[in-house]
Amino acid sequence: MDDTPVADLVRGAACGDRAAWDGLVERFAGLVWAVARSHGMAPADAADVSQTVWLRLVEHLGRLRDPDRLPGWLAVTTRNECLRVLRHRGRQVPTDDPVAPETGDDGPAVDHRLLAEERDGLVWDAFRRLSQPCQLLLRLLLADPPLSYAEIGEALGMPVGSIGPTRARCLDRLRSTPEISRITAATPGSWG
Amino acid sequence: MPDHPTDGAGDELALWVAAALARHDAVPDDVVEAARGSFSWRTIDAELAELAYDSTADATPLAGVRGVARTRTLSFEAPDLTVEVEVEEAGGRTVTGQLVPPQPATVELRHPAGVITAEADELGRFRATGVPAGPVSLLCHSRRNPSTLVETDWIVL
Repeated sequence: MDDTPVADLVRGAACGDRAAWDGLVERFAGLVWAVARSHGMAPADAADVSQTVWLRLVEHLGRLRDPDRLPGWLAVTTRNECLRVLRHRGRQVPTDDPVAPETGDDGPAVDHRLLAEERDGLVWDAFRRLSQPCQLLLRLLLADPPLSYAEIGEALGMPVGSIGPTRARCLDRLRSTPEISRITAATPGSWG
Repeated sequence: MPDHPTDGAGDELALWVAAALARHDAVPDDVVEAARGSFSWRTIDAELAELAYDSTADATPLAGVRGVARTRTLSFEAPDLTVEVEVEEAGGRTVTGQLVPPQPATVELRHPAGVITAEADELGRFRATGVPAGPVSLLCHSRRNPSTLVETDWIVL
């Protein structure tokens, strides 16, 4: 299933092939989740939005104008559903998650080794303060299974050539946060 | 990712981000399962009534005041049938609907945990109570024209 073109999976699923459908889910469940979470959906809401998007895809399988552009269809449909949920609750899309930055020196003294769990926690805090577009781009770039630059460009409506430079800018912003500085200081030989 | 240019300075940080996301925000298993299971809702031969109007789009920020029962109006359009519904959220969701052109029909309100069946009368009016929050789609089977089978776009209520 890994190398099967998306359009073939869509056509298979439209004809009732459940394995083709499972192939689509495996390839793009991460994309839908990433878009939902990047639009301020709490996990329970992201779950609802995700299910709605997949249910909607089931009904649109035979009607998609361009099955090759499924990543874009999924991203747009997910985004629209998130905006609908947010509007219904009378809230704007949060541009900043209210996570206070690590101020650095108030942790336990002297032990410079960071457990992976601690590092992950610090990175997660810093990540959530990134702009929404940076969060979404990084989530898609780091997806498992990997998405191609073409699929990411399609999903985000970005020219493929701008993905690399934007990735670098987003990582630079992350690197300059207090959390990452703290990790770098505690990790011998690392330069982030 | 063979078509990615390598960016050495960012690779270690990127790995840290990947690890943080894997620990803190991987796609939950039940979300993936639900996505797979969505395939069971496939209806063959039904026409799709797409969302044409959602009063939520007109809502002002003040409409989100807590404690105030709100009514949401939705309209779904298929070539031969329009389904208009009002959703009231006071103490559990009540869906009041109107089929246009008016006609008697069996209306199935489908949601991930099951189906609520309602009957539309001669004037195409129907009502269902206790509709759960979350994804919902209406499947309308006309009793006047048995070949008319219409399903509405799934939407989060």
